[in-house]
Amino acid sequence: MAAVASAHPDDVLSIREQVSEEEWETRVNLAACYRLVDHYDMSDLLGTHISARVPGEENTFLLNPYGMYFDEITASSLIKVDYDGNVLTETPFDLNLAGFTIHSAVLMGRPDVDCALHTHTRAGMAVSALKCGLLPMSQHSARFIDRTGYHDYEGVANDHEERERLQRDLGDNLALILRNHGLLTCGYNIGHAFWLIYKLERACQAQVDGMAAGTKVIEIDASVQESSKELFEKRRTAGGDLGWPGHLRRLDRMDPSYKE
Amino acid sequence: MSLKDKVSPEEWQTRVDLAAAYRLCEQYDMTDLTGTHLSARVPGEPDNFLLNPYGMYFEEVTATSLIKLTLDGDIIEDPLELGVNAAGYTIHSAVLAGRADINCVMHTHTRAGIAVSSMECGLLPMTQHSMHFFNAISYHDYEGVAVNLDEREMLQRDLGPVNMALMLKNHGLLTAGLSVSDAFYKLMRLEKSCQAQVDAMSTGGELHLVPEAVSAHTNNQFKNRGTELGDRGWPGHLRRLDKVDPSYAH
Repeated sequence: MAAVASAHPDDVLSIREQVSEEEWETRVNLAACYRLVDHYDMSDLLGTHISARVPGEENTFLLNPYGMYFDEITASSLIKVDYDGNVLTETPFDLNLAGFTIHSAVLMGRPDVDCALHTHTRAGMAVSALKCGLLPMSQHSARFIDRTGYHDYEGVANDHEERERLQRDLGDNLALILRNHGLLTCGYNIGHAFWLIYKLERACQAQVDGMAAGTKVIEIDASVQESSKELFEKRRTAGGDLGWPGHLRRLDRMDPSYKE
Repeated sequence: MSLKDKVSPEEWQTRVDLAAAYRLCEQYDMTDLTGTHLSARVPGEPDNFLLNPYGMYFEEVTATSLIKLTLDGDIIEDPLELGVNAAGYTIHSAVLAGRADINCVMHTHTRAGIAVSSMECGLLPMTQHSMHFFNAISYHDYEGVAVNLDEREMLQRDLGPVNMALMLKNHGLLTAGLSVSDAFYKLMRLEKSCQAQVDAMSTGGELHLVPEAVSAHTNNQFKNRGTELGDRGWPGHLRRLDKVDPSYAH
């Protein structure tokens, strides 16, 4: 078997003592986020990725080791990388190049967000391939209407020049639909990005089912959409902040090894 | 003496990997009771291959219980004396006899796979996942349960000399690989392509398909990576199985 497959999670050593307390906390939360994406059936084998900015550092972020499944990711296994692609964590695993392109684009282009989350789910890919895009047909989708960018598919994102187009298409939104490909959210913190992807995923699922029924779909009235947007803006990260400790409690009951 | 001591280390490794693939199909919800089959050529013995014992569920298959038989259908090793599925023999011997480059073949009857296999449009260039198969998937008309050995020629003709995926119309999916991990990776990609296509088309909304030039470019990107993607994912698949139930490797 090729050399790409030789790395093993057991070869990852704890780096808790080697990083700042703030970085460790971010690593634990990001590892938890990978486990939650898997738990809520939003993972896609080794594809897709979630990133978080390293607190107190200018140009660095954390990304998954390419070869570990989302339910295996630990705080120590996450790879620190800078915007030039230099790997700053000792690791037996490779970096996913497409992941680096997409996440460095978002974090470089948007100093206000600290976490980016990308999925290839069944319903997310389906909506990403619809000309109509995401419809304002549920409370879940209301928060994203007029606040979601669309990015045309260009192939596997190994071309760093795609970063400019990703930044342009994301704009100042917190969600980006990657056409013919999948979903992306970014958040002011990790819990916020997870909360948004969960809501966007459910919005896509409901849209697929609602449209599939073949009956006329009711779209939410524009004035109601507007007032919902205001409310969501006021509450900012509230949904993510409120839910996060409970997410961690759930993971702790199932398998606390994400904290290693 | 256990079978492991009787066969070459390469054959044993292939048995373990193939048994793992059966278990993984179960994990990822791609089984259909005792129907469908996965096969692998025995390393160093190009005319012999391994197939599941008919009647065992995929979650029960082990490295030892796999049947070894020749491309002509002569049974060499069948420890449980269960015999092979006749249609499975037809389909898998056809592909392995017709294509010396292929070492593993996987066939499923999934909900989304059967659905797309029954659509006149076939697989659409609709997702990144489907780019693996852009201008690289063949179609085979349904002829009834594949117990007629004459169907092998048609299967070989339809698969052709290059493609690693075959949609069996009104029936299901088939992928091939240079190795077990390669075929399994392609199967997972094809399955999810079909799931997303069913969901998108079921909305009745107008589809936004990937333009031809981008599809060709992406397919080329995947081709250039050879078996890397399958290789990279395989050890983690085995770790997952080892946690759930390591008996596949017995």
